[in-house]
Amino acid sequence: MLEQLLIFTRGGLILWTCKELGNALRGSPIDTLIRSCLLEERSGAASFNYDAPGTAYTLKWTFHNELGLVFVAVYQRILHLLYVDDLLAMVKREFSEIYDPKKTVYSDFDDIFRQLRKEAEARAEEIKKAKQVDKPVSNNMGNDSGDGDDNVKVRKLEAHSKGSFVANRNAPAKGIANGKENGSSNNGAFDVNKLQKLRAKGGKKTDTIVNKVPKVETKKKITKKNRVWDDSPKESKLDFTDPVSENGDENIQIVAADEGESMMDKEEIISSESESEEDEDEEAEKGTKVETKKKGWFSSMFQSIAGKANLEKADLEPALRALKDRLMTKNVAEEIAEKLCESVAASLEGKKLGSFTRISSTVQAAMEEALVRILTPRRSIDILRDVHASKEQRKPYVVVFVGVNGVGKSTNLAKVAYWLQQHDVNVMMAACDTFRSGAVEQLRTHARRLQIPIFEKGYEKDPAIVAKEAIQEATRNGSDVVLVDTAGRMQDNEPLMRALSKLIHVNSPDLVLFVGEALVGNDAVDQLSKFNQKLGELSPSASPRLIDGILLTKFDTIDDKVGAALSMVYISGAPVMFVGCGQSYTDLKKLNVKSIVKTLLK
Amino acid sequence: MDANKAEQLKAELQQWFNQAELLIRRIPPNQLYAAVGIVLLTVFLFVLVRVFKRTISNTVVLTGLSGSGKTILFYQLRDGSSHQGTVTSMEPNESIFVLHSETSKKGKIKPVHVVDVPGHSRLRSKLDEFLPQAAGVVFVVDALEFLPNSRAASEYLYDILTKASVVKKKIPLLILCNKVDKVTAHTKEFIRKQLEKEIDKLRASRTALSAADITNEFTLGVPGETFAFSQCRNKVTVAEASGLTGDISQLEQFIREHVKP
Repeated sequence: MLEQLLIFTRGGLILWTCKELGNALRGSPIDTLIRSCLLEERSGAASFNYDAPGTAYTLKWTFHNELGLVFVAVYQRILHLLYVDDLLAMVKREFSEIYDPKKTVYSDFDDIFRQLRKEAEARAEEIKKAKQVDKPVSNNMGNDSGDGDDNVKVRKLEAHSKGSFVANRNAPAKGIANGKENGSSNNGAFDVNKLQKLRAKGGKKTDTIVNKVPKVETKKKITKKNRVWDDSPKESKLDFTDPVSENGDENIQIVAADEGESMMDKEEIISSESESEEDEDEEAEKGTKVETKKKGWFSSMFQSIAGKANLEKADLEPALRALKDRLMTKNVAEEIAEKLCESVAASLEGKKLGSFTRISSTVQAAMEEALVRILTPRRSIDILRDVHASKEQRKPYVVVFVGVNGVGKSTNLAKVAYWLQQHDVNVMMAACDTFRSGAVEQLRTHARRLQIPIFEKGYEKDPAIVAKEAIQEATRNGSDVVLVDTAGRMQDNEPLMRALSKLIHVNSPDLVLFVGEALVGNDAVDQLSKFNQKLGELSPSASPRLIDGILLTKFDTIDDKVGAALSMVYISGAPVMFVGCGQSYTDLKKLNVKSIVKTLLK
Repeated sequence: MDANKAEQLKAELQQWFNQAELLIRRIPPNQLYAAVGIVLLTVFLFVLVRVFKRTISNTVVLTGLSGSGKTILFYQLRDGSSHQGTVTSMEPNESIFVLHSETSKKGKIKPVHVVDVPGHSRLRSKLDEFLPQAAGVVFVVDALEFLPNSRAASEYLYDILTKASVVKKKIPLLILCNKVDKVTAHTKEFIRKQLEKEIDKLRASRTALSAADITNEFTLGVPGETFAFSQCRNKVTVAEASGLTGDISQLEQFIREHVKP
């Protein structure tokens, strides 16, 4: 049974709701749908799941792009209603006939709707009966989207209660919006895999414990005597990190202070390339296949003058394919490009082409708007303002840098520290990378050059404890910002992700910054989604902290293949707060949305 | 050489001149005068229209955070009722109409062009399309849920107050506290003071950054003094309204003040 069916305009006015289904919806599922799905360019997805205390709804929608209407159906997730898609299509057809932009009340639609619903339910019953007779298995496939969710929910609950590693395997659980293909094989093979994983996990855990003990002992034997952990450079005869004498140190310090303005504060000069729009369109034309070239040009010219009745999916297909290929050559992950194209198609289907516009230019304009919308931050990324706010509350503003190995966390941490220092903020570094050799020394060198305090506890310590003590130290000596460096870790590494989740949970930082390199390709999607997923699942609290912002590094190594920025922002919804574009302290800038969009669509 | 060339050119020009004269002579003078007259007239009308368009504008822009009640106010202004409710807007609502409360008045009333811009942060750029032609801006604030959103609201308000188009043209701004029909809604005085305090803090942190960071083209207020809305170059006033019950008299007053009937 449907909970509710709404028809509203894109401008926000509700035109019609079903009066018979009188139950008021708990929570605000429609607003959440608009904010987290339709405005996030995920409108190509099949359905949206909404969880409120006490209810679990699934929402399905369809657009009428020409009239600017949205049709949404809400029903309980445990019921697998098969007729919703049909019903929405029929409702769309019938309503567009009686729609009038001036009218705001459509009471006569009630009867029509009642009829349509009966028809749709009857048809669904027939199909169900037919399916039950033929193949009992395929019925499972139809209900798969529902089952998949249930399993995800059940697994999540288990993870919370047991604190165990059950939910690790859940690859197709793409967060909230359901993809169109939901691998049904997971349901069948789940139990076997689960058992195997459990067995493997047990073995792995003991291995790591065994390994840890002899390592510590050997270290104790060899180098215990020479370890000095305070900051004084005087007794560092045996400190191999500084081959230069104290004079050399001072020289370095003076140089560091004078590196000039961080690029964050410099205005970017964007070359105006408006004339090259003509060239772009011609290139797109060339991109289409040779056989259809002549016909395509002629018919598109004809259509552009006459103006076509309605855009069909088939018409949008070639333009969207060309656009998707272009995006992929710019290093956008394949999955993301696909979803984006679907979303743009959903927003353009049924729209009337104006005269003197080609399909490709309409698609291009729609894609450009969609890209700008995704890359524009959803919330303010004004860090200095947040720092000031924290300063007033007399607490330090804590930033944690997370990411996989070798992306540039420590380097960019130093750059951020330099920038903050230039704006008269007291910064403190916390060396919570207690695993990699040389990590603490690296940060210590940066701290010395920038002349900011560093809190370190050496190697082989629990990073969560080190971070906690660092924050306490910062509160004591009045630092405004604490920058916490963590060890790089692969997103599949279960124990390390758990350690990270513990660090974040124990210290509740103000900003969790995911550091990702711009060179990454399709792995960006996997990295970010797994990081977010693990942070969500393995956190013992009910409302876990997820990734709040992205720091994109090594931006100077990619010429115009800037697609990684798009993939990362799309998959996580977090804004890009900094862009690292070089290896010196001043190479940190902000993401310029317009220039990225232009480069992506060039 | 040069003298020869110059003479040659001169001769050619003379020839063309003579030919042109002959052609013109052939056309009857009436037609000629008529053609010239029409061209001059169109140019004159064009200039007139341009000049007029610039001075009189009848656009009022409704803006504010998402969920503050702009779309409801829009429909109250237009139809006098909020119909069946609204959801988060994905596109701006705009139309030119005579205010609903004035439809019963006799005489010729000038219609108003009202634009309701979505408040969702991803759609903020739509505001820049409508701001240059605005005769007045209404910043709608949710008086019920004011404190949790006060920072976001003040940032948005700060951004609007420092835009070049608003400052240069001194577009009047009305801060409308919506949802006052609820008992726990804050008063307009409280909201005004809170906004002034927040903007003061913003002023301090934003001027610490340089121009490249944010598109604030102007700075607000007097350096050294705490910020007050009276320091703005454009007129800023505060009023109350309730979208659901239809109590929008102060809003209509503002509109009538700035869009001459």
